[in-house]
Amino acid sequence: MNSIKAWSRWRRGLVARTLLAVLVVVLLLAGISSVIVSNTVKRSESQQAVIALNELVEAVSDTASIASFTNDDQLAAEVVQGLMSNSDILRVTIRSTEDTLASAERENRGSSPNDTGAISQIIHPLSSPFQSNELVGEIVLDPDWRNINARISESTRAALLIQIGQMALVVVIIAAIMLYLVVRPIKAISDRLHSLGADSGNLLDVPSGHENSEIGLLVGDINDLTGRLVATLEQERDLQQQQIIERRKYENLFDQAASGIFVANSSGQLESFNRAFANLTWLPESRRRESRSLTEIHWRAPELLLNMLANSLSSRNEGTKYEDDFVLPGRHGSDRWVHIEVLALGDGNVQGTVSDVTQRKLEEISAKHQAITDTLTGYSNRAGLQYALKDISSASQPFALIMVNLNGFKQINEALGFHVGDQLLLEVSIRLKEILSSDDHAARIDGDEFVLLLQGEQERRTLNQRMDQLLQPLSKSYELKAVDQGDKPNSISISASIGIAFFPIDGSDLNDLLRSAELALNSSEDRNESSYLYFDPAQQAAVEHRRRLEDDLRHAIIANDLQLAFQPIIDIEEGKVVGAEALMRWPHPEKGDIPPDIFIPLAEQIGLISKIGLLVLEEACRHVAGWRKNGMNIYVSVNVSANQIPNGLTPIVVQRTLERYKLPPSAIVIEITESFLMANVSAAQTWIKSIRALGIRIYLDDFGTGYSSLSYLKRFPMDTVKIDGSFIRDLYVDKSDRALTAAIITMAGSLGLNVVAEGVEDEQQLAILRDMGCKCVQGYYFSRPVKGIDFPSTMLRIANEFSKENKVVS
Amino acid sequence: MSIHKALLFFTLLFLTPVVSADLVLVVNSESGIERLSQREVVNIYLGRYRRLSTGATAAPIDLSVSTESKAVFYRQLVDKNLAEIDAYWSRLVFSGKTRPPQQVENVDEALEFLANNLNALAYIDRAAVNSQVTIVFEWLEQ
Repeated sequence: MNSIKAWSRWRRGLVARTLLAVLVVVLLLAGISSVIVSNTVKRSESQQAVIALNELVEAVSDTASIASFTNDDQLAAEVVQGLMSNSDILRVTIRSTEDTLASAERENRGSSPNDTGAISQIIHPLSSPFQSNELVGEIVLDPDWRNINARISESTRAALLIQIGQMALVVVIIAAIMLYLVVRPIKAISDRLHSLGADSGNLLDVPSGHENSEIGLLVGDINDLTGRLVATLEQERDLQQQQIIERRKYENLFDQAASGIFVANSSGQLESFNRAFANLTWLPESRRRESRSLTEIHWRAPELLLNMLANSLSSRNEGTKYEDDFVLPGRHGSDRWVHIEVLALGDGNVQGTVSDVTQRKLEEISAKHQAITDTLTGYSNRAGLQYALKDISSASQPFALIMVNLNGFKQINEALGFHVGDQLLLEVSIRLKEILSSDDHAARIDGDEFVLLLQGEQERRTLNQRMDQLLQPLSKSYELKAVDQGDKPNSISISASIGIAFFPIDGSDLNDLLRSAELALNSSEDRNESSYLYFDPAQQAAVEHRRRLEDDLRHAIIANDLQLAFQPIIDIEEGKVVGAEALMRWPHPEKGDIPPDIFIPLAEQIGLISKIGLLVLEEACRHVAGWRKNGMNIYVSVNVSANQIPNGLTPIVVQRTLERYKLPPSAIVIEITESFLMANVSAAQTWIKSIRALGIRIYLDDFGTGYSSLSYLKRFPMDTVKIDGSFIRDLYVDKSDRALTAAIITMAGSLGLNVVAEGVEDEQQLAILRDMGCKCVQGYYFSRPVKGIDFPSTMLRIANEFSKENKVVS
Repeated sequence: MSIHKALLFFTLLFLTPVVSADLVLVVNSESGIERLSQREVVNIYLGRYRRLSTGATAAPIDLSVSTESKAVFYRQLVDKNLAEIDAYWSRLVFSGKTRPPQQVENVDEALEFLANNLNALAYIDRAAVNSQVTIVFEWLEQ
């Protein structure tokens, strides 16, 4: 057995293979060369033989030609005899022109086929010894090819033998060299390698004499590789150790995790899952741990989950998480919401985490519900209405939007408290509900503003009936209990106003519909009793008109179309003009002059009042600065509305404007109204204080028209009150007006305030005011408001009138 | 001496044909032979065919070596010197089948032989030709 093994190993060894290869090559070469050699030898030998025979014939040809010449057969026979002594000749014949002179043939030898392709017969013509161009006979010679071939074979064999001997020697030498130079060192390396441990890190020795040979390099490479292998093995071992630890860690994490974890394929087949997963998803109990599926779980919408898995698996972006919430119908009616997050693992599976988000989901739903619900009535709020309208209008069916407002609700709230107000609203909502069908929608969008969406309503005829049905119960009295009044209920009656707009003709979205309904409602409210009105496009036209006016106003401000007019303020004791009230004028290019009581509120509503205010201040300062330069020592009063403070017209801006025109503070007066004070008491207080600190006087305008609370005069430091023109107009017919005016003048005097009477239109009024001790007046009696450029002449005219009057008096 | 030198010079200058003394081949006038070609002369003298047109065997006669005529004759006939002619004959003599022409000492002997032998042929100087012999071959002046 062993010897067989050794043989087979040897057979596969380098030496054997090399030898085999060399042997094969050598044999092949030997074969080829022997063929070549034998052919060459044969050819050359046979040629040689023929040449030799030719030479032989040549040598005897003289004698033979003589024999032929003389027909001497004796001589010819001698020649033949002589030739026959050559063993390569089989047969010789000498012929003269007349006869065969002599012939001889070797006996006991069959003729041999001439296999070399050489000539089979040598025929040498014989010429006359005396006349070379005269033929006298010929020598015919048959070479003995058998003999020649035998000799040739002999020499060929010898040549081959020598060659084979040389080659054998080469093979042996190569084998020896291989054994010594290659196999022995390799064997040594191999034996050493066998004895080395796989990871011992031992190194191989370089066989002596091979330090710089390929073997030496090989050993170096093997040593390097061994070193790297050992290092890699160690790393691998460390890694494995680490992996085992990590894995143990992750297995613990996996098992103990509060979140459900699973790995599944695209069809929902579960590869693995943890306990939390089974608990969270109510995975049905089963003894099987293998081949469980996500589809065993009772999802409300299993296809959504499978879609998500498919999306995750087909996602091109690796690491893209897909997540969604899924519902599991609860066994006892309480659904469970789970949040599932999946991530493709790259092997056709997804890894998913599952967490219970029921609490959050319920909160979200409740928050969402709250966000769109009015907590008091349970109706929708404005946001809810928006959603409902979206739903309804998407069906493109006509419907009616009903806006219900309770008349005087604000007063009830203020008088009886929010508690009662809320009760009222709740009761109203209950009564409203009675006329609603299941398709209708109810909302409370603000305070006492209810909105109903009545589906399918598009004709007034049918809707009128429902509105009557609606208004009737609403106008019945309400029994409401106030908190502080024990059990005794208040019986309250309230009327409701209703505005109606149709979708889609009166508006295509909530805002349009609400605006239309509100326009109708406002008209209805004006009637001051329970009523309903449909939206009238004419109302819309009014709104349009207003909107156009707004645009025009904007343009006018930009184009500087607004102008100031000045109405003189006259000191009637001194008999001279002391100041001027700056009044805004808007000469509209199409509609003529627009009165300030129309465009000023408009400017306030669209937020342009501050701009206008600054414009007025600027213009007023410019004018008064010019006048004062011309020796007219007067002031200009400027109206400031509540909307301009605190930021629209800051005291600093006022101060800077004065400084820019080099005006003393006394050149400017600020006129405010009672509403200015009421709008924002503390802001007004601060503002007035700052303005007065600059030395600028404050006039209280329109005194007597509003609440005219005397306490204002106490709380807000003023310089002057202006008595409203409405008191002055009927001064000499209306006793109460006269009494009030006299009281104001007296009171102002006692408070140390000046008085300006506005709207003085005739001499009578002036006389009465003068008697009452009123110091200053303004009005048409002296002058209408005039353009700035005309003011000096107006002033001069008034002064002249006074001097005339004085002259008359005196 | 001067004659010898001149002769040598002459010989070298004109070579054999010119050297020839005016030799002619003669037979007994009564032999019946009238003319021989050079080829026939060669065949007869060098032992190839000696049968004559008369049917008899020709008997060629050589002069002694001492006569210059022999060398001149063979030179003129086959362009060989006497040594070559001897070598030729030595090979044939060995087989014994043919013999070289019979040799006589001088022209007189040759004429005598001719007179006695109808089949004899001899080369003699033209000057020695007499009425008893007939010229059967001569080298034309060249």
